[in-house]
Amino acid sequence: MSAGKVIAGIAAAVLAAEGAWSVAGNAQSKLLRPPGIQSEADFMARCIKCGKCIEACPYASLHAAGPSAGAAAGTPCIDAREQACRLCLDFPCVAACPTGALRDVEKRTDPNAGYARIDEEVCIAYQGYRCEVCYRICPLIDQAITIDFQAMEEDDIHTKFIPTIDPHVCTGCGLCVERCAVDEPYVPIRIITLAESERSGARQ
Amino acid sequence: MSISRRNFVKTTAIAMATAAAAGSVAGMTGCAPKQNEPINGDSITKTLAVCRFCGCGCGVIVESLRGKVISVYGDPENDSNRGLNCVKGYYLSKILYGEDRLTKPLIREDNTLKGTDEGFREATWTEALDLVASKLRETWKADKSRLAYWGSGQQPITEGYITSKFWKAGLLSNNIDPNARLCMASAVVGFMNVFQTDEPAGCYADIDHADVFITWGANMAEAHPMLYSRVMTRKIKDANVKHYDVSTLGTRTGATADKVIIFGNNGDLAITNCIANYLIKNGKYNEGFVRDHMQFKQGTEDLGNAYEDGYDKSEIGQKVDDVEPITFEEYAKRLEPYTWEYASKISGASVEDIKELYELFANPDIKILSFWTMGVNQHNRGTWVNHNLHNLHLLSGHYCKPGDTGFSLTGQPSACGTAREVGTFSHRLPADLVVKNPQHRRYTEAVWNLPEGYLDPIETPGFHTTKIFRELSNGNIDFLWSANNNWAQSMTNLTRFLGRGAEDKKGIFDAFIVVSEVYPTMSTKYANVVLPAAMWIEREGQFGNGERRTAVFEKAVDPPGDAMWDMWQIFEIAKRVLQDEKIGGEDAFDLLFGEWYDKDAGEFKHESQRETCKSIWEEYRTFSNPDMNKRAAAINSDADGKFGAKLKMEAKQLAPYEEYIYQHGMTWPVREIDGVWYPTKWRFAYGDQKEGYDQIGIEKYGEKDLEKQACFYKSPDHKASVVFRPWEPPAELPDDDYPFIFCTGRFLEHWHTGSMTRRVPALLNALPEALLDMHPTDMEKLGLKDGDHVKVVSRWGEVEIAVSTAGRTQPPEGYLFAPFFDENVLVNLAQQEMYCPLSKEPDFKKTCVRIEKVQAQSEA
Repeated sequence: MSAGKVIAGIAAAVLAAEGAWSVAGNAQSKLLRPPGIQSEADFMARCIKCGKCIEACPYASLHAAGPSAGAAAGTPCIDAREQACRLCLDFPCVAACPTGALRDVEKRTDPNAGYARIDEEVCIAYQGYRCEVCYRICPLIDQAITIDFQAMEEDDIHTKFIPTIDPHVCTGCGLCVERCAVDEPYVPIRIITLAESERSGARQ
Repeated sequence: MSISRRNFVKTTAIAMATAAAAGSVAGMTGCAPKQNEPINGDSITKTLAVCRFCGCGCGVIVESLRGKVISVYGDPENDSNRGLNCVKGYYLSKILYGEDRLTKPLIREDNTLKGTDEGFREATWTEALDLVASKLRETWKADKSRLAYWGSGQQPITEGYITSKFWKAGLLSNNIDPNARLCMASAVVGFMNVFQTDEPAGCYADIDHADVFITWGANMAEAHPMLYSRVMTRKIKDANVKHYDVSTLGTRTGATADKVIIFGNNGDLAITNCIANYLIKNGKYNEGFVRDHMQFKQGTEDLGNAYEDGYDKSEIGQKVDDVEPITFEEYAKRLEPYTWEYASKISGASVEDIKELYELFANPDIKILSFWTMGVNQHNRGTWVNHNLHNLHLLSGHYCKPGDTGFSLTGQPSACGTAREVGTFSHRLPADLVVKNPQHRRYTEAVWNLPEGYLDPIETPGFHTTKIFRELSNGNIDFLWSANNNWAQSMTNLTRFLGRGAEDKKGIFDAFIVVSEVYPTMSTKYANVVLPAAMWIEREGQFGNGERRTAVFEKAVDPPGDAMWDMWQIFEIAKRVLQDEKIGGEDAFDLLFGEWYDKDAGEFKHESQRETCKSIWEEYRTFSNPDMNKRAAAINSDADGKFGAKLKMEAKQLAPYEEYIYQHGMTWPVREIDGVWYPTKWRFAYGDQKEGYDQIGIEKYGEKDLEKQACFYKSPDHKASVVFRPWEPPAELPDDDYPFIFCTGRFLEHWHTGSMTRRVPALLNALPEALLDMHPTDMEKLGLKDGDHVKVVSRWGEVEIAVSTAGRTQPPEGYLFAPFFDENVLVNLAQQEMYCPLSKEPDFKKTCVRIEKVQAQSEA
């Protein structure tokens, strides 16, 4: 739906920005983008910081990146712990984008803003507690997050219900991060953004 | 674009910010075990407790320091959970420290503001107690039918016992009922009719032995989290173990089952009768088990539905409990219409699926563990479905062996221990005794040291729960006291019961309502007096969980501010109401409660809550240990032959109080052998008592050489009753005006109405709002998308809620599900108020509704 909105001239800008992106800072790569991002470089080249996606979001999930984001200041991003993307079926943010920085999403499974990863040391499901808040809240329950049942070694009557993320299905909406029931010493689930995985290579 | 979605989230965010602030005290507290170093010579105190929430009854250890609970973690020595908890249990310590704890008695000054948090002033205890007692006494003296107490399956055992004694013996009133009526009543009537004793015969350890699990109307994965962990363990250990989920919608339980069988239209009654039909027809029932252990009956049928306030006294309403004996052949004949095709047509389940269930019961070589809970109990024929599930296990002989039994799962932490065992119901007395039975009243009089015949005025049962609230709305209740519950959120048909409907149903605004509570709730909004209570481990108490396990929770810290132990509240009100009253020439209060409370000094007679509880327990324990009281023992054994039957009170024998602390909880009946107390894990199953079998019970009252070494000895001729219960339809069926079936229930993150768990920031954040789960096809037909706000409209009322297809539950087309934890989304505004005619338990699962889209305002 948004491909038609792409302005021809932008294609050249994308190529120019690829180089600039490769030296962009770590802070920028941690910015979680709205649905419809194709690559961080493509996004940076096309985004004109118009704020239309931010206005369009019915859940107020999007905000403009602050000055610390350097060149990315003013671009839309999501603080998943604060207010995650709800993967609206009509993707109003994508529809509002005038430049195609956000584009090509039709279904809930299409966005590719990143994927969730769990810190096994802190997640209480790994200790045998029945939690799995991230699993039950996932908009792609039983697809992006499934439960791996693991017998507990120290206990013959309990099973660990381990939330297991498929990075190829997970869209990086961040709702699991927003809802995670643990925050001490820190929230044990975070989104590896598309930019981060681009920097480090393929999804694991 | 919908502004309502944005506003909705903002509201949530504000609520969360408030809750986060509330967590500031608790911010210092951890949850998992920690190596806290004592500071300045202070030492950490460890106390024993059980979880405050569900019927699993998980044991926990509480660590406190300087009067604050600093951590709560699983008790490895409690045999129900052995050291683990769910995420609610993980955050137990934080329920104590919400910022809006009630710490002062509140008296409503402005009755026009009833229904809001406004219009109260703070008061002293003396003032509040004087007011409450004067209103109760005034109503009591004027017309006893106009007062009521609504209790709870979350009330500790000794508090429930004292409340019941005050109401039944002190006030001679049966207008006392618990919220367990909304939860387990259908299971209770089923157990009583089939076995003449309440509560499951098996235990949680059955899970470790089963070959097949069948969940019937039970979302165990969410509602019984740690038991479900045990089920998964059994499945992991043996790949041949199978789980069938028989349900009306897809749930997280179904998501892990090997097979999900979806049915509707009260099809559970037809499916169970169909299986029983073919078990007999094909000679696949257990002949020896039937011969030795069963009698057959049929009961009143074509019951209609309890919509009208006068249903119980209608011609049919008065006959609903009637049964008559029939032969096995007659029973078989009654089952004949339940062919595969008929059951399939009624239920919507396929013939193949019903046959597959049948093949399980027809196979004597596997062990089948059925679990059922609210889908069965909250049902317009809830008692009947309980019957039919017992029937299947009995006919097939899948009973009384570890792993091979039917198990009714309990909802609340002490629905068994308090509501059911103490009997805080309108028709019950302690320990399975009922007010109607003269021998039962004589026995109770003996234990309570009352003159013979003193309890005869309470021969007729009082108002059950729905009746209490119906009469309240009709203006026929002048005084209501509630504790350990939140009726203004959890009751059915809140539109009527909160006085939001017809003009002439607003009695709630005129009645004098007393609410003992720990936080402001929906119910306190309707209170005239709010009594701030000690919460959970701020006093000593006891819960009895779903496997008949009695456990003590010790006092760990003091309650905040002026909040007081409920026990003290009851004694202080009782002494005022019973002032100058006599029983058999003695001061009424002193006769009933003088052992524990000095009314003149206004203080407990024992030095500690432990000693008070222990002393109350010793009296309560007399009910199940008749030898502790000569007069009671004579009635129990029917020494003079007056009653023609033994009571067999030892069938529910309880141990001395400290044993429950030493042993971290025990399942009754508890038996003493050579000075050591042993629990019974498998009731009615003969074997070594020390191994957990019911050796002593069967030796005393039963026969040990019957089929499968079982004996249902509580029944006069040792035979369980298989009662034929036919299919009858739901109270209402979808039509053009109300095309959807609306079901409500519970999710893992929140406990019941959320009054505690919504004050734990992590749990509120995990699940901040109630959503309406709907099938994607229905969403499309109605032009809805995720997050849209709709009105759920029934014949009774309506509620606004956001819709979701996220998939946590997966309702079939035409079916809707919403949880009831969210005070901001009172789903029961739209619920019908009709109940199972036998158990009087409301049906929360199938109100017919329509969906109206709430028009979104365009953004300015």
